[in-house]
Amino acid sequence: MRIDVYQRLMAVQASRRKFLGGAAATAASVAALGSTGVLGTMSRALAQDSASLRAEILKIPGVGMGSPTDADWQKVGEMCLGPTKATVQEGEFAGVELTFMGLNNQNLHNFLFRGFLKPWEAYTGAKINWIDLAQADYNPRLQQSIATGTVDFDIIEMGAPFEGDTAGKGLLDEMPDWVKAQIDMDDYVNYLKAPVGTWDGKTYRITIDGDCHTFAYRTDYFGDGSISGMAAVPTTWDEVDAVSKAVKGQKDPLTGLDAYGFLDPLKGWGGFGFYFLEDRASAYVKHPDDKAWLFDPDTMKPRVNNPGWVQAIQDVMDLIAAGAYPPDQINADPGATGFQQFLAGTGSMLCWWGDIGSNARTSDTSVVGDVVGFSINPGAKKVYNAKAGAWEEPAEPNFAPNMAYLGWGVYVTNRVSGDEKKRKAAWSAAAHLGGKDISLWMAAYPSGFQPYRNSHFNYDEWETAGYDRAFIEDYLGSNADSYNHPNAAIEPRIPGIFQYYSVAEDELAKGFAGQYKSAQETADAIAAAWEKITDQIGRDSQVKLYKASLGM
Amino acid sequence: MASTAVTDDRRFESLGSQRARFVATRILIYGVLLLWAFICLFPIYWTLTTSFKSAPDVMQGHLVPFVDFTPDWKGWRSLGLSPDTLFETSTVREEFLKRMGNSLVASLGGSLLAVAIGSLAGYGLARFPYRFGPMRNNDISFFFLSQLILPPVVLAMPFLVLYKELAFLDSLPGLVLVYTLMVLPIVIWIMRDQFMSIPIELEEAALVDGLSIWGTFVRIVLPLALPGIVAALILALVLSWNEYFFAALLTGATAKTLPVMVASQTGSQGISWWSMAALSTAAILPLIVVGVLLERYIIKGLTAGAVK
Amino acid sequence: MTTTSPNVGQTFETVGVGTSASRKSLGRLIIIAGTLLFAAVLLFQVLYAAGVSASGFASWRPVFYAYFLWAASVVLGQILIRGEQGQRAAFVLPAVFFTVALVIFPTAFGLYLAFTDWNLSGSVGRRFNGFDNIVALWNDPFYWNALRNMVYYGLAVFFEYAIAFGLAVLLNADIKAQRFFRIVFLLPFMLSPVAVSWMVGKSIMENRFGPAARLARLLGWDNPAFFTDPWIARLSIEVMDAWVFIPLIMILLLAGLQALPKDLLEAARVDGASPWQTFWRITFPLMLPVSITAILIRIIFKLKLADIVINVTSGGPGGATDTVSSFIYREYRDRSNVGYGTALAEFYLIAIVIFITIALLVTTRWVSRYSTARAVDRV
Repeated sequence: MRIDVYQRLMAVQASRRKFLGGAAATAASVAALGSTGVLGTMSRALAQDSASLRAEILKIPGVGMGSPTDADWQKVGEMCLGPTKATVQEGEFAGVELTFMGLNNQNLHNFLFRGFLKPWEAYTGAKINWIDLAQADYNPRLQQSIATGTVDFDIIEMGAPFEGDTAGKGLLDEMPDWVKAQIDMDDYVNYLKAPVGTWDGKTYRITIDGDCHTFAYRTDYFGDGSISGMAAVPTTWDEVDAVSKAVKGQKDPLTGLDAYGFLDPLKGWGGFGFYFLEDRASAYVKHPDDKAWLFDPDTMKPRVNNPGWVQAIQDVMDLIAAGAYPPDQINADPGATGFQQFLAGTGSMLCWWGDIGSNARTSDTSVVGDVVGFSINPGAKKVYNAKAGAWEEPAEPNFAPNMAYLGWGVYVTNRVSGDEKKRKAAWSAAAHLGGKDISLWMAAYPSGFQPYRNSHFNYDEWETAGYDRAFIEDYLGSNADSYNHPNAAIEPRIPGIFQYYSVAEDELAKGFAGQYKSAQETADAIAAAWEKITDQIGRDSQVKLYKASLGM
Repeated sequence: MASTAVTDDRRFESLGSQRARFVATRILIYGVLLLWAFICLFPIYWTLTTSFKSAPDVMQGHLVPFVDFTPDWKGWRSLGLSPDTLFETSTVREEFLKRMGNSLVASLGGSLLAVAIGSLAGYGLARFPYRFGPMRNNDISFFFLSQLILPPVVLAMPFLVLYKELAFLDSLPGLVLVYTLMVLPIVIWIMRDQFMSIPIELEEAALVDGLSIWGTFVRIVLPLALPGIVAALILALVLSWNEYFFAALLTGATAKTLPVMVASQTGSQGISWWSMAALSTAAILPLIVVGVLLERYIIKGLTAGAVK
Repeated sequence: MTTTSPNVGQTFETVGVGTSASRKSLGRLIIIAGTLLFAAVLLFQVLYAAGVSASGFASWRPVFYAYFLWAASVVLGQILIRGEQGQRAAFVLPAVFFTVALVIFPTAFGLYLAFTDWNLSGSVGRRFNGFDNIVALWNDPFYWNALRNMVYYGLAVFFEYAIAFGLAVLLNADIKAQRFFRIVFLLPFMLSPVAVSWMVGKSIMENRFGPAARLARLLGWDNPAFFTDPWIARLSIEVMDAWVFIPLIMILLLAGLQALPKDLLEAARVDGASPWQTFWRITFPLMLPVSITAILIRIIFKLKLADIVINVTSGGPGGATDTVSSFIYREYRDRSNVGYGTALAEFYLIAIVIFITIALLVTTRWVSRYSTARAVDRV
């Protein structure tokens, strides 16, 4: 039913406003309709309080009340126990101990999960032990555990790019059907539905996050009489770069400090830094007729040194040469550009994950909440067609939003597969975190996660929470438009993908520091390193998995 | 008579200039001391005050609480350690305390074990000429020292495999053993110098009195070397207390320690300056207490061993 | 190396203590029993692990225990067989057995890994690839760049030493609040490197509002950027590392200063030597041995410098601040390229061992010649 509504909406290519109105209706129909059987009863029972519950949890602690704390997470966890109570008896998991591995970023990720699951533990009687990892340790710890057979966790918070490393090696437990119903998987935005989260047709992932980069800008830099001199917000990269050069030497209207344009992170970030070059490059290289944009799907030959990618690198190098970045930008990683610079009022444009939007309003770090606007990533006036080996100039600029990282999910490992009680407990805990209502809270407050369900795009709910309507339409709209973009650049879920990114950002940093002679030479160095990694991991298997992950 | 007067005058004069020079030297000495004390203290002051700042205060580099920013329990609240959260249930505080406890056990255990076997080895290397195959005392000392050289990152896979086979993963005894291994070289190095400086006559007298070598060691040498042992213990404690790499690699849910929590303050969502500052402050406190209580032993202990 | 190595202090005259034949045979028995037990447990588990036999222990932990039982039997047996010689050996053996137990496997396994191609994400596991890693290392300009940086960082130790010496001399002077200054000067050593990287590197040295940047502006540097110019970036990293480790050098030197024979200094003063002369003629030469120890320990810590670089600059700009450890860290951890990463580290280890052996040889010889000369002087 809901799918129908959704697909119809998609089919008519509703404008953003219309689409979101429809999504609200979708949510309403879910609440009102409910199917038959046990699950139907369950969802009906839930539906009665669902709307009021959602409104209640969004008031904890309330927008503008500073970052939520442990007490708030526990309260939200307690209030969202409904679906768990419908499927699990009180004390049913007494004596079960589970180990959960996830990120330990302050006040995010595991910090939230601990608070959310505290009431779950109290109700079910299970006990959860936590493995907390710093973000930089995450990939190595995971790879080492897999390679040495020391997987010591039952539940893992993991990004879809690692599915090749885990599901591909048979380390995960397949999701039971009751979980699929409890978390309402049909509510996921389109691009997060299968094949993402699945491997060989089996479902493994409870999504708790949707990822895409969007373009965030300072509204006070644009308009008549603004310091950029531009009436409208730039929509293509050459316009963006022109702004960067135009505002150089002027003063920021908000802070009175030096004004800057686009904030490219010029330093690596444990692999994550490469996404930010992709933001620029995808517009040049993601051709609407071609799903592949990082490698040639038949040979795994890197495309990263084709003219499109080189153009993206060259754009950054030109800005460096023009002195258009803040001092010490060569030492700024994406964490710095997003949080130390943009949210703190330095620089006027950047591409980042969508949660910078909710952070702009709710985080203690932000001073730009009132002057920030959003749209999909900038496009390019020319696009490189890798198959034809030539530039093309489409009538309209080419847009290709970057679905960087595909979002975090919660997975259950095969350590619990043999023990039904433990298995149910693990999936129940995971489902609690991936629940529909709790996810709304996570999307609205600093959590490390961004919206990923159609039901998250209901403006009224956000408005009740204290968000300003125009802001939320703008912020959520940019996310929705990116998720649903026909030419979205989707990340391949192949083993070792972060190795490619890590070596690429390392070479890029060298190129930006002038260690290579040109953008082309930098790109060639990346391509050479990628070829080496492909050979190491196994070219044939990579080709196969790359094609599979693109749905080819 | 006259000549005496002249000399007296001259003495006065030289006393005067001496006094001037003395004062100038004092000012210089205290100036440098205060400058360096400032250099040492400022980052720690910065850390401490940051734990009471909100983001704009950190960003704008405000320095003095109550003057240019209003302190807030922010950092401590995020650990569940502020006055208003102290008596509420806090998952973060539970986590913090558990890690603190583990850190104490792992670093104390590792340091004590290292000091125990390191002192023995140090004494042996200081007093007896050994010969293991081609290796003599210097080579043995260097063998121990060489264990300190390898960057820990390359020991990751070997240690992971070893610990998996020995079922030591995620266990405090396992962590204690790694820390022992890690600080043993420096303990041996310090203790060897320490024992060399103890006059050998005492031991010879004890031996003549009929004590065995081990009896001499326990009853005569150890008490003399106590300050040195304390000094070695403190260095070992500091090093293992702040150890991050193996803690992140070899522990999981049960044996986790504090430094990993400090490192986790950074990630995809920027830095929580206040929490990181609060955690860093909390993590350094035990060491400062140890430092204040045992500081005199550090110098005294190392003194005995420093110059023979 | 000579028989009476200069590092070994005074040693006992050998005192012959007879050991009876029965004690000797008991000792041998104990060693044999311990060895047999260890061998049996080892064999039992090896066969199980190899799939030859069906029964075995769940983990190798019992073998680990058996090893220590064997080690204990060897020590005990030595004492019984060789009497006092055995008792002497018993001092150093526990440390040796302990170290060997924990490092023998990692060392051997590490050496093996250095000659393999092992990418953790690979579809096949590790493959022996001979000297490929060494060849790759030889042709890796950024590894050599990191090695060159280590030379710069290593040379900076002498500046740290000079500062630490100065501070130690001041603390050793007759000053008020000595205890306060000592504790304060020790504090930086106690902060964790991660905290230093963030609170100092990313906060105090932040280029807009950081106190260091504001101070720099006050001193006339208009647009302070601590991590953009290669040399300034290197210097910034060095300053942070020095801040942490100067206290360690300082206390080692202070301890040395306090142990200086007071009469010698007094005599020099009476002879009319200026403080400057006293320092260069007496204090500094007497401090040479402890200085060498301090510098050596410091250099070893310096050679492992990684945390601050990883957290603050990731080796940038363009590898200017990269250390070997931080370089390996990225290869090994971020890219799971275990084989090559291990090869890089083993090469580094060998280079360091050679370097330190030579340094030790040269300095001990130099110091002993120096102190002989001084002794002659004094006579």
